[in-house]
Order: sequence, then C-alpha cells, then structure tokens
Amino acid sequence: MANRRTSKLEKWAVHALARLWEIRNVLFLAVPYFFLLSWLFLGSSSIDSRPAEIFSVPESPVWAEPDSIHWFGTTGSGVDLFQLTRLAMGTSVAVAVVCSFFGISTAMLVVALFAFDSSEHRFRPIFVFSRAGFLLPAMAVLVIFAGGSGGSLPFAMLGIIVVTGFYLAPMIANWFEEGGKGPEVLAGFGLGLSWQDMLVGRVLPKVLRRLVGMFAQLVPVIILLEMALSFMGFTGDRLGVGAMIAYGQQSIIEAPWLAVCPGILASVVVAALSLLGAMVSKVTRSGLLPRHF
Amino acid sequence: MTRICFRYLALALVRWSGVLISLVLLVEFSFCVVGGSNRHVWGFDVYQSIPLELSVQPISWWELIAERSGATLLALAIAYGGALLFGYAWGILAGRFRRFRAASIFSLPFSLFSCVPGFWFVVLVAIHSYVVWKRPGFANELVVESGPNLLAWWNAAVVALPAMAVATAWQLRSVAGAIENEASRPFVKGLYLTGYSEDAIFYNNILQRALPGIVSLLDRTLPLVLGSFIFLEWAFHYDGVGSLLVESVRLGFYPGIVVSGMWMATLATAVTMGRQVVAKLLQPVQ
Repeated sequence: MANRRTSKLEKWAVHALARLWEIRNVLFLAVPYFFLLSWLFLGSSSIDSRPAEIFSVPESPVWAEPDSIHWFGTTGSGVDLFQLTRLAMGTSVAVAVVCSFFGISTAMLVVALFAFDSSEHRFRPIFVFSRAGFLLPAMAVLVIFAGGSGGSLPFAMLGIIVVTGFYLAPMIANWFEEGGKGPEVLAGFGLGLSWQDMLVGRVLPKVLRRLVGMFAQLVPVIILLEMALSFMGFTGDRLGVGAMIAYGQQSIIEAPWLAVCPGILASVVVAALSLLGAMVSKVTRSGLLPRHF
Repeated sequence: MTRICFRYLALALVRWSGVLISLVLLVEFSFCVVGGSNRHVWGFDVYQSIPLELSVQPISWWELIAERSGATLLALAIAYGGALLFGYAWGILAGRFRRFRAASIFSLPFSLFSCVPGFWFVVLVAIHSYVVWKRPGFANELVVESGPNLLAWWNAAVVALPAMAVATAWQLRSVAGAIENEASRPFVKGLYLTGYSEDAIFYNNILQRALPGIVSLLDRTLPLVLGSFIFLEWAFHYDGVGSLLVESVRLGFYPGIVVSGMWMATLATAVTMGRQVVAKLLQPVQ
C-alpha cells in the first residue's frame, strides 16, 4: 500500500468526528431539551399576562369546557387556557434556569473562597455553618424572605438563588474533597506540584463537568419551588402556573378546569425535565441532589 | 451513653440557638430592610394578642400552638413515618436486587408522583370531593363534633401524601446507593470467590457494614417534609404549623413566624440529635 499523507481537512474531519462520538450522550440529550424549551418559549406572547385581569369573572362569563379546539378550556373572559399555561410554564422554566445558574455560581463562589487554602480542613466552616442552617426548611426561608420583602418575582428569585447557593455549597465542597484524594492528585503531590496547581489543573475540570448534571437536576426542583411561591402569592401579580391554580380555585364549582388543567401541563413538563435531568446527571456522574428543598 | 447524649444535646442547643438568631435576623432583614416596615422584630408592640385571622375564637398562645402542632404532627407521622418505612424497606430490597436496577424501578412511582406540584394535588382532591363525592373538599370546611374523627386522618393523609412521595423517592435511592457503594468494595468479590452464598454475603456482610451509612440518612428528609407542609397545609386549608407560617407572613405577624419557624427547627434538631446518638452507638469500638 502506498504511503499516503493525510490532508489537513481529512485530519480535521476525523478529529471532529472523534470529538462528536465522545460527546454523543450530551448531543443525544441536548435534542429533547432543545425541542421542549423551543416549544415552551415559542408560545404566543401577545396574550394579556396579568392573572388578575384574565381570571376576573365577568357578569356573563364565556368560559368553555375543555374540547378539541380548546384543550384546557377557556377562562371566564374567553382566553385559551392551554396557551396561557404554556406561556406561564415558559416563564417558570426561564426563572428556574436563571436561578439554577446563579444559585450554582453562588455556591461555587462560596466554595472557591475556601478551596485554595492548602490545609486539610479547608471546607470546615462551610460544613459547620450548613449543619445548623439545614435545620430550618428551605421553603420556610423562602416564604419569609419573599413574603416579607413584598412578594415580587425579583425578590423571590433572589431568595431562591441565595438558598440554592447555601444548600449546594457543601455538596460542591465534597466534590472538591473527593477530587483532592484522587490517585492523579496524589501522584501530582509526589511530583512536587502545589495544591493550587492541582486544584486548577486536575480537580476543577472534574467538578465543572459534574455541575452540568447538578444544573439539569436543579431546574425542575426550582420550577416546583417557583410554582409553590406563585401559588401562595409571593411572586407578585405575574402569570405563573401556581397563580393560575390559585385563581382557578375561586371558580371551583362553576369551572373546575381552571384549577385542574394548568397542573397537568406543569406536571408533564416537570416530569420531562426531571427525566432529562436524571439522564444528564447519570452521564456526568453528579449524584443525587441534597434533599432540602 | 449518658456522656454521648449530653455531648450531642449541647451541640444541638448551640445549633438551635444559631437557627434562632438566623431566623430573627432573616425576619428583620426581610420585613424591615427590604420590605420597608417600621415594626422591628425586637419591638414589644409586635408581640400582641393573636390576630383574628389566625383563630376565629379568642385563644391563648399555648392553645394555638398545641392545636396547630397536633394537626401537623399527625400529618408528619404519616409522611415522615411512611418515607422511612418505604424508603428503608424498599431501599434495602433495591440494594439486594441491585443487578436488576431495582432502585430505579422501585423509586419510579414515587419520583413520578413527586413531579406533580403538591399544592395542585391537594386542590385536585378538594375538587374531586366537591364534584364527585358532593361533600366539602378543603380541610377547614367540616368539623366532626361527635364520634371518631376519621376526617382528621383523611385530611392529614391528603397533606402528607405528596410530601411522603418526594421523601420516599430520595430515601429509597439514597439507602440503595449506600448499599451499592458497600457492595462495590473488593471484599465482596473475595467472599464470592471463597464460595459464600449471595444471601450470606448481603445480609451478614454488606448490610451490616453499610448500617452506619444508612442510619446517617435518617434525618435527611425531615426538613424537606416540613418545608413541603408549608404550602401543602396552606393549599388544603389545613390548620397546622405550616399554614400558621404562611398566614403570619401574609399578616406580617412576627411572633407567628418565629414560633412556627422555631417549631420546625426544634423538631429537626431533636431528630438530628437522635440520629447522631444512634450513629455513634452503632460505630464499632476502636
């Protein structure tokens, strides 16, 4: 066989294919995420999204029961409930994505304050502080903060971010500790590398990879949190599935679908995101989230 | 034994005090600094009599807490007790049948149920009660005045069920995970090669060695269950400690917030202390 030199293009293509094959699981999981989020976010934005206006019952209500045209029925003012729920779910998912991102970033920031310390008990303050903090349910903290600060979405989001950061910091600190005991780190110490070198070069990449799984698992949990706060009226007069169910309760006899139907879509979306989150977590080996929410 | 108990009691008291200080600061920060209220948590004027919104009849603090605690403890017994019972029993079974991915299969129904918003579930029960059974739906709409109060059990079970599902799913997977972790150690392979039966390896070795790890999971789901009760009780109009917290926050009634928050923290502290004592006693003597 002739000794043929491979062209640059051929080398690049082989390399790209190999990389794609390596991340095939991620690509496989990205597709359903893309479709689900596109479907949620591409809903009609021309609907009036003030729940107090939409759910006000006129003297002669024009609500329709669920049928083949209006899958979830309509409100008293004739607005299609399915489109409304889809819009509300889009908002909930967006809130959850933002809160998850900033919550994890806060946790990473807190852990980073201690991670560069080369002593063996570097994360002790985080663990000591969290053990006392975990005794108060996260939901209690959120209700007090969101309710006390006037009940608006930005404050509810701020509360979720801070609480998420607080509860995730010990888990991330544990990952750093696990990573610091790996054989490659011990070998690095043997070669004379410093803890800082090891942290940046060997421990941090592993932790960052697991954060993806944590993020994917956190999104459905925060959606449920946001919906609960919205149900209790602590996210202001904004369209949310919780608020829709709370408003729907006012017409529980005349139009029960107002409280029933939004929850169906919410459950399906949360179940889909939980399933995807579990799969991403399995690929990235993130483990179970701490059950404090 | 006594020394261990006192040691962990002192630790629990320190933590409890820390939670109390944090809670008072949280209330002050939320209502006064962010919310702009001019009533401070340490002002004597806020500790007035119980507002009518919290209790229709004039009632003392002690009576209010006793009434609310009783209702929440009943629901807690069902939710937390059920989570421990199913979580541990099925988790150990899932560990036994780990080759067949039993943890995923057993936890699937609970995980799916935990995707359902809990407050929506209790509203569904109320609607079903109204529409199908033609009877009052929410917990505060019918009071049993004579005979056995089965309705109290029904109401507590409705509130407890969503919280129990979430807690059970986590407990089951964690218990199975702890066992699987122990089963992946090299001594297990050694025992197989020596000729021990699978049952003997699992029950006499893996399970016994995994016991301290399993016991350490005992109190993990309690804050989650108590946190779930906050919105579940409020959604189902169930007069418990959780709904007392939400109503107090809505009214800006600081004593109610502090009392309900500390009630939850006290319970979590007591269970954590109990778990620590048991874990210490189970630890092999060096």
